[in-house]
Amino acid sequence: MTIDSASPKLTYANIDQTVLDTLRPATRPYWITVALLFLGVLLGAACWLYQIFIGIGVGGQNNPVAWGTYLINFVFWVGIAHSGTLISAILHLFRAGWRNPIARAAETMTVFAVCTAGLFPFIHLGRVWVVYYMLPFPNQRGLWPNFLSPLMFDVIAISTYLIVSSLFWYTGMLPDLATVRDRAGGFRKKIFTILSLGWTGEHEHWRHFSRTYLFFAALATPLVISVHSVVSWDFALGIVPGWHTTIFAPYFVAGAIHSGLAMVLTLMIPLRKIFHYEKIITLSVLENVAKTIVFTGLIVGFAYGTEYFMAWYSHNIVELETFRWRALGDYRIPFWIMVTCNTVIPLLFFFQKIRTTVFWLFGISIVVNIGMWFERFVIIIGSVAHDFIPHAWGLYRPTAVEFGIMLGSFCLFFFLFVLFVKHLPSVSMTEIKETVSAGENHAG
Amino acid sequence: MYRRTFLKIAGLGSVAVAAGCSEPEKTLYSLVQAPDDMVTGKPSWYASTCRECPAGCGILAKNREGRVVKIEGNPQHPINRGKICMRGQAALQGIYNPDRLKTPLLKENNQWRKLSFAEAQRLLKEKAAAASQKGRGRIGMITEMAGANLLSLLSQALKSWGSPPPLVFEPFAYESLKAANHRVLGVDGLPSYRMEQADFLLSFGADFLETWLSPVEYGIKFKQMHSVKDGRKNLFYHVGPYQSLTGANADVWLPCNPGSEAALAMSLVHESMLRGKGAGLSEELQKIVAATALPFTGESAAQLAGISIEQYRLLLDRVTASRRPLILGTGSGSASKNSLQTNMAANLLNLVLNPDLELFDFNNRHSIEIADSRESVLKFFNAVDAGGIDLLLLNNVNPVFALPPRHQIDMILQKDALFVVSFSSFLDETTQSADLILPTRLPLETWDAYSGKLEIISMLQPAMGRLTDAPHLGDVFLNIASSINAPIPPESSYKEYLYSSFIEKRLAKSASDWVLALRAGGYFEASSRGESVRPKFAKSLSDDFKNLSPPAETGLTFIAAPSLRFYDGRGANRPWLCEIPDSLTQIAWQTPVRMHPQTLKQFGLRQEDIVHIQSRWGSLEAPVYETHSVKPGVLVMEIGQGHANYGRYAQGAGVDPCRILPDDPNAPDGGPLLAVSPVAIKATGRRLKLAHLDGSRFQHGRRIAQAIALKDLTTGPSRAKPGVTLEDFPLTLPIPEGYDPKRDIYPPHDHDTYRWSMVVDLDKCIGCNACAAACYAENNLGVVGLEQVRRGREMSWIRVERYLDANHPDKTLFLPMLCQHCDNAPCESVCPVYAPHHSNEGLNNQIYNRCIGTRFCSQNCPYKVRRFNWYAWEFPSPLNLQLNPDVTARSKGVMEKCSFCVQRIKFAHGVAKDEGRPIRDGEVQPACLQACPTGALTFGNLMDPRSRVRKLAADPRAYQVLGYLNTKPAVIYLKKVLPEI
Repeated sequence: MTIDSASPKLTYANIDQTVLDTLRPATRPYWITVALLFLGVLLGAACWLYQIFIGIGVGGQNNPVAWGTYLINFVFWVGIAHSGTLISAILHLFRAGWRNPIARAAETMTVFAVCTAGLFPFIHLGRVWVVYYMLPFPNQRGLWPNFLSPLMFDVIAISTYLIVSSLFWYTGMLPDLATVRDRAGGFRKKIFTILSLGWTGEHEHWRHFSRTYLFFAALATPLVISVHSVVSWDFALGIVPGWHTTIFAPYFVAGAIHSGLAMVLTLMIPLRKIFHYEKIITLSVLENVAKTIVFTGLIVGFAYGTEYFMAWYSHNIVELETFRWRALGDYRIPFWIMVTCNTVIPLLFFFQKIRTTVFWLFGISIVVNIGMWFERFVIIIGSVAHDFIPHAWGLYRPTAVEFGIMLGSFCLFFFLFVLFVKHLPSVSMTEIKETVSAGENHAG
Repeated sequence: MYRRTFLKIAGLGSVAVAAGCSEPEKTLYSLVQAPDDMVTGKPSWYASTCRECPAGCGILAKNREGRVVKIEGNPQHPINRGKICMRGQAALQGIYNPDRLKTPLLKENNQWRKLSFAEAQRLLKEKAAAASQKGRGRIGMITEMAGANLLSLLSQALKSWGSPPPLVFEPFAYESLKAANHRVLGVDGLPSYRMEQADFLLSFGADFLETWLSPVEYGIKFKQMHSVKDGRKNLFYHVGPYQSLTGANADVWLPCNPGSEAALAMSLVHESMLRGKGAGLSEELQKIVAATALPFTGESAAQLAGISIEQYRLLLDRVTASRRPLILGTGSGSASKNSLQTNMAANLLNLVLNPDLELFDFNNRHSIEIADSRESVLKFFNAVDAGGIDLLLLNNVNPVFALPPRHQIDMILQKDALFVVSFSSFLDETTQSADLILPTRLPLETWDAYSGKLEIISMLQPAMGRLTDAPHLGDVFLNIASSINAPIPPESSYKEYLYSSFIEKRLAKSASDWVLALRAGGYFEASSRGESVRPKFAKSLSDDFKNLSPPAETGLTFIAAPSLRFYDGRGANRPWLCEIPDSLTQIAWQTPVRMHPQTLKQFGLRQEDIVHIQSRWGSLEAPVYETHSVKPGVLVMEIGQGHANYGRYAQGAGVDPCRILPDDPNAPDGGPLLAVSPVAIKATGRRLKLAHLDGSRFQHGRRIAQAIALKDLTTGPSRAKPGVTLEDFPLTLPIPEGYDPKRDIYPPHDHDTYRWSMVVDLDKCIGCNACAAACYAENNLGVVGLEQVRRGREMSWIRVERYLDANHPDKTLFLPMLCQHCDNAPCESVCPVYAPHHSNEGLNNQIYNRCIGTRFCSQNCPYKVRRFNWYAWEFPSPLNLQLNPDVTARSKGVMEKCSFCVQRIKFAHGVAKDEGRPIRDGEVQPACLQACPTGALTFGNLMDPRSRVRKLAADPRAYQVLGYLNTKPAVIYLKKVLPEI
């Protein structure tokens, strides 16, 4: 597959030019945006500090719903983090050329989303100041973490994923960093000289680079599957009806990719518009993402159906009640938001007209993001709110502090991303050039 | 440098750093010479008497390092046999109440000025002298129920001032029961009942499990009578317009129209005489009774009461078929215009069915019989209003709150010509209207004697050091009276006065006798003092029954019911009593008005709507609670909340239902009317979110609280083949026998010697929440307050779940739920840091210091018994002095839960080790079990094949809640037994 509109005008030089243009000194609106986002981050941080000093009670969690938006946001951001690696690693292995223009931004999204997600377990903890108890450090009391706990799986899975995806991201950026170095001057040149690790573009460098990138891709591919599987086990290994099911790993992975692809669209469409990437990130690239969203949306919808089938098939009255209540009970609105946004609305992408219109692509991507947030709400809140002991049933509602922290997390993510697009090449020049040259060799 | 030396130095350094950062301790005590009975780390127990209600249960107060930390029942005490109710537990929160007055206060220009105790007593002395010089009867006194010695001292002092003895004011004074006993049995007083010997119990509203006469005593006796023995279970019928907790424990609740109880009881007299009962009575008496009962036929009475004739016949069959039936009259809550007649009819029915009245104890009567009637209290205030006295002394009474507002007691008290002295320690409505507040010591700090029943003398002794300089009320009177030339023995203190009066009455022969009595808690031998009382029967009765008021056929009836938690309102400032929910509604901190769904539909109301209730005498607004536990057309609200003043916990909480009750007492007996009809209601359009703890009222078929029909129990176990579902999962004990390789991947735990376990007999649980209160006291549980309870953050380690029968929503099952200490605990495996830890004695320990607060354990606990510290809960000083030093106080951010009172297990280990023996069966008593009046809980070692828990686990009624999850809970439940009606 090649980029159809890339052939006539795209040359190595104007690829470089388009990408390097994005790194020009920023304008005032840009810095205002950065400042506003930073304020949002500060707001979230202030909320967190307040919570640390006063107690977790400033959130809305209670008995029975001891996990609230912090865990929802954790799973949400981990989910977002998925598509980056899926696009850069799996599609790389499958030689899907359309992934090249968006791979860099998607990978960046992954790294920042993992960082954001990684904060939430800390925010969630009752006593974050003793979080180091989870580390297997030698101590005279001989205390060790419990490796049977899914939360320990999480620690390992998320930190592995963060390390691998960061290295993958950085490695892929090396030739581009060198390009920037070559065109930069002054202080920037010094920084990029260090960052580009002495890349000269000689043959040996390219040989090692392509090997490394391939191996990283191969290494990262199982992680795409494993990380969200592990996250799903936080729930599936519990005995709570609505959590305790074997479908959770594939269900969560599909959901993660679903949300991640939607987030890719959400990020790419403004990026493409603002930085005039239309020729590089073409409509057909976006269209391919939309097609994949249809696919993942169908998987997610199938998973919803399967859960209901299993509840019915089990004849277990507790399961039956959980799923009846999920659709008809106190949290029916989040449930129907979830179903509509994740499985029904993405089906509109079956129409070519819709999946090639930027407005619809952007709008539906937002809708899917919302739907996926509510999916986590339905699972995490809805299941424990209505589990085994009817006397203990109870409802949960997030508080202002939780919304503050949630806003802070979104601001943090976009803050990092906005900084990134102005300071590092947001499109991989190297890979676009590969595509262009591949186009010349094979299609031209 | 040696390793130890290094550690010491390093340790010192870090201590210095830590000390530098934290606020310095203000006081540090070092007991160079400790009192004999104080050994650091060891509790001393002082026998005393509970004075939270007039029942007078014996208590043991646990003193640690000079302060009382826990109250338990005195096992030798004949009234409560070692048990204690939630109000008794909460006495601690009286002495340690943050709103307790520490100094006397004098009202000057509507401002309170602090006085010293000496100044206050001097002022009181002056006022008393001035009043007594003015003439006779210028000093009046109203006291709460008190012991005979104190009362006689007060009377002596008042007499020396030329004034009448004090009025004993108790809001629940059983006027109608006393009058009925007088008219039917010729006994002036309140005989006690040998309920445990009955084989059938019928109550026309007496709420003997909550407040009626002596609730702990009758709770114990009730379950002795009402438990399964030899395949039989005696029946309990409750007839009344609403269910109290007592009614909810009945096998049959017959909802009758309010006020129809008397006719119903009389018809039972009539019908049972037709069936040949009453033959044992003298012919003369038979004639009188028959003549009185003649107008009351079964059919007309059933129709009047609004119960079906089939139900009536069944009741009649039961009444006549039993050999030793006991019939109880109305409780305070169903006090209607006919309550005298109801109580008389109940007495007559007892006479007819059991002419020897062998279930009545006429000698060992309840001492509350000395309380003055409502009528005389109101008369007294009328006299005060008329300027009859100059000085009014109030000892721990709250007439402003207890009497209907139209009497304007507060205005009377605030008259300029009247000087009012209150000896209360709390600024309640009455005290607020006083001129001088002279706080006196509370019962746990005093020497005294009190008799809950006439044949018992129960001692009070200080169980702790003093928190304030408040004097004893007796000392105040000795001090004042002796200086105004009173003929009172010149003892220097009330303790000496008490002692000498004991010597005088030959109760104590010597000082050692006295000490022995103190140690035992009192004189309990049923040596009948005075001649035994025999009933003298009435000559004519029918007059009373001629003017029976007809029950309200149309319109709504409003009933103010005495509260299990607050009694008459005196408990409303105790945070535990507010925080622990009402058993029937599961609502904490609030008092809703209970209404039947039909009534709600009729008026277009929903639960949580605030409704305006108007009677002839006043109006109030309260939130609605929808329930089948009241008859349609009946509104029930519990007394206790709605204080204008009474400290931070009581103020502004709930509404006082008494404000719309009739002003005047019921003419025939002089008692208050707690029911009013008709009332008008209308929606206010506003709503109030209720702080209810129940997520659902029903079990949704999950077999959580189970019951079994008596006949199924006697036919023996018909055990189907065990399976793996909710229905057929077998009992799997948390010991190696409970493991089956087909089901279990992991091997059993190695428990050495002990595997602690608890058996909960649902057949004995009456839902009184004494266990929960005991747990709050023992384990330093945080009180979270109304708003946090609404958010579902209550901290109770044991809760009494209330489930309604889905098909008969007026039938209730109670199930105490606490940590199940599973052998296969879902909480243990999910914690990343091993904070929930399985001990080698099978306990599921929560290691607070290790907990980082992921809350996964709580999410994964199917029983939802784990409690998280959402905040650092406050124990406003001096409530913090009540904290049990044996139990860690938890900081914010950690999880906690029931520990099976591990501190008590450890204590037993220490004792057993010292004596070189294993822990005996029954030696460890967790706080909940210790308090439980009915003995529903049993604790012990499952590894011991002869232990009681092991034997009970083999009972055919035994099951585990959600056992099919294969959690192997160590809490084993015994199904409630439903006898054939």
